[in-house]
Amino acid sequence: MSPRPAVVTGLAAEPALATITLTWDSLGFDPLIDHYRIYAVEGEAAPARPEESSLLAKTVYPRLVHDGLAPAGETWSYRILAVSDGGTRGEPSAPITAASQPSVTATGVPVATIGEFDGRTLEHRFAPSSYSRIPEEHPEALIEYRDGADEPGTAWPYLLPGPGDAWAGRTAYRARWSLTLEAAPADDHDLAVWLVDTTRLGGILRISANGEHVTDLELPAGATRGSREGDATVPGSTLRRCFFEPAIPAGLLQAGENTIELELAEGGWAAWDAVGLYARG
Amino acid sequence: MSTTAPPAPLSRRRLLQLGGASATAIALGIDAPAAQAEPLPHREGLFSLGVASGAPRPDGAVLWTRLAPEPLAEDGHADMPLRPVSVRWEVATDEEFGQIAARGTALAQPELAHAVHPRVEGLDPATAHFYRFRVGPQTSPVGRFRTLPAEGTAPDAFSIGVVSCQAWYHGHFTAHRHLAAEEELDLVVFVGDYIYEYGITSANLRRQGAEVGPAHEVETETLEQYRLRYSLFKSDPHLQALHARVPAVAVWDDHEVQNDYAGETSSTGISAEMFVHRIAVAYRAFYENMPLDLTALPEGPDADITAGFDVGSLARISLLDTRQFRDPAPATEEEQQAQERTMLGAEQERWIAERLTDSPATWNVMAHGVVLVPITEDRVDMWDGYPAARRRMLAAMAEADNPVMLTGDIHRHVAAEIPSDPADPGSDPLGVELVCTSVASDGDGAPTDGYTEDWVQHDYVKLYDGRRGYLHVRLSAEEMVSSFWVVDWIEADDTAPKQLRARFTTPAGDPRLIPA
Repeated sequence: MSPRPAVVTGLAAEPALATITLTWDSLGFDPLIDHYRIYAVEGEAAPARPEESSLLAKTVYPRLVHDGLAPAGETWSYRILAVSDGGTRGEPSAPITAASQPSVTATGVPVATIGEFDGRTLEHRFAPSSYSRIPEEHPEALIEYRDGADEPGTAWPYLLPGPGDAWAGRTAYRARWSLTLEAAPADDHDLAVWLVDTTRLGGILRISANGEHVTDLELPAGATRGSREGDATVPGSTLRRCFFEPAIPAGLLQAGENTIELELAEGGWAAWDAVGLYARG
Repeated sequence: MSTTAPPAPLSRRRLLQLGGASATAIALGIDAPAAQAEPLPHREGLFSLGVASGAPRPDGAVLWTRLAPEPLAEDGHADMPLRPVSVRWEVATDEEFGQIAARGTALAQPELAHAVHPRVEGLDPATAHFYRFRVGPQTSPVGRFRTLPAEGTAPDAFSIGVVSCQAWYHGHFTAHRHLAAEEELDLVVFVGDYIYEYGITSANLRRQGAEVGPAHEVETETLEQYRLRYSLFKSDPHLQALHARVPAVAVWDDHEVQNDYAGETSSTGISAEMFVHRIAVAYRAFYENMPLDLTALPEGPDADITAGFDVGSLARISLLDTRQFRDPAPATEEEQQAQERTMLGAEQERWIAERLTDSPATWNVMAHGVVLVPITEDRVDMWDGYPAARRRMLAAMAEADNPVMLTGDIHRHVAAEIPSDPADPGSDPLGVELVCTSVASDGDGAPTDGYTEDWVQHDYVKLYDGRRGYLHVRLSAEEMVSSFWVVDWIEADDTAPKQLRARFTTPAGDPRLIPA
């Protein structure tokens, strides 16, 4: 019989927007690990023994992204154990507790949004898979969207193509979002940019406000499937969501018309979940 | 690389490399002469996944079964107790098992999902054999295999069935039903995509009459999920009949792990540091579920499924791994054209080149996952994505008599005369490539489709058909006859009759495809 798997050690939690990423030390290949079992209970107290009713996930990787957490932030406690090829379970790890970072979509006051922050591209134009229409409809590689006049389903394509996309002419597409503010804001705002997936190329999403560069968001490598599948909340979905909420300095915004531009300067397409500008509440 | 020379049934050196507990477990799964295991409480249906033989030699073969009273139990252990169980096997020269030629015992253990892989030795060459397993009072179905001809002898003929891409959920295994009924059949070669990793949902379940539970709806990632996926596919009675009928050899393509993966590079952005864990369990499940020799047992994410054997002096057969050692898909045209770019890895390139150069055989047959001949430059998952490696492969093939490449992957029947210079489509052919269509992937299919023109634009492509089916190859000293069989439907049921789509003769010494 192969030995009982060792206790999982090195458990660490990295809190982020709407997610907590757990990592631990791989137990290697002898015995071969069938999978790790992640037990989770909400709150700061983990039970002494994991209960099957609190099984959050099984994974072959020494890493798990606990996603889909409420935008306001959630606190969870975890224990992990390994199962061997022979079906033997190891002892559970020491517990760890972590709290996800609150999102401005929960803490802020929405000024303007495009789409729902729901893990899906489905409300956007051409979703979930008609990406070849995007270069046909936007031959200048420019998407223009006016708050209050346009709707996601008719004016906001679900993908923003980039220079890595041969099907879209290997061009850095720009999405230009126009919105009106009644007064110049006194405080900084936050721009929520939630993506459902990216390509294996990753990329750089360049943000500017009224012609001034704000930041370059470094997009991680994704699953390259969000061009064909639109719902990252389906159980077992391989789409790789990512979340960004950079600040927009108050000085870059003005009374009257404002333009926020999102340019995919490098890499392959980004699949939109939603975009929103939030005032701090 | 595995060699033609038969290793000992259990190489001590190999076992020492594996370390204590696993070495013992693996050894007993092959040969447990005095196995001491508690008797199994009576269970019906232990042999629900059938029997198989593989790794044929002049003196024997590897036998396989996996005890599975509840093959679709979600933990991958098929409702077996998590302890060892003794499995007796016997081989006879008659179907009634009156003339026993060999018998033994192996230990089915939970570490290998209660699969056993005993290697039978000491049999007469070129002889039909029957085999079965026993656990307690239960007896398995009877399987058959024919030992290979003795070294240096020249058999009149040797017939090979070739199959690929059995997406169980896209339709019935009608092709397997017909192949298992072939009168002349000595070996079946699986050239990849024996399973598919995708979740099975209403969106892709086209096999009418079939239903699957939620455990099958997600993409496979853990060992239990890969085991369950093999159980599901292997529950098909026609696949079981084919395995019982002839020895099988197999190479994997991508879907045994993940679509379009390359080496340790996932196609969905999973880092190599993580992805190796999935490769390890996927490779393990492949070993557990196929009639493979010990040499194919993975160590972590490393495995050697290359294999080679001679059919007397008639044919030398080499199985290649075109997934584990390949470079990732090219990011640029320059990278695609790079000289050092590899499909097989340096060690495997040397191995196949030596086998081809040294071969005494009339026919030199190679089998692997992806198409060799040039089609279009954007088909970068095939050898079109590895042009420099292809030039080296063609140079090696040019050193051997009558090279034949057997591949799959594309879900289409294709036959091509391989141009000796890929840059010159009109150059003399150096061999032939026979691409077998899928058993099930893509469902019913049609004779032509949107991709037809990409293929038939080349004069050296002599056949294209987009229906399901199998390939039958008959080798003799004078000629190779390749028969491409198709069925018109597989989604509704398994009753479609087989039709001969094309048959070619390739005379020995003349690498052409002459319509027969």
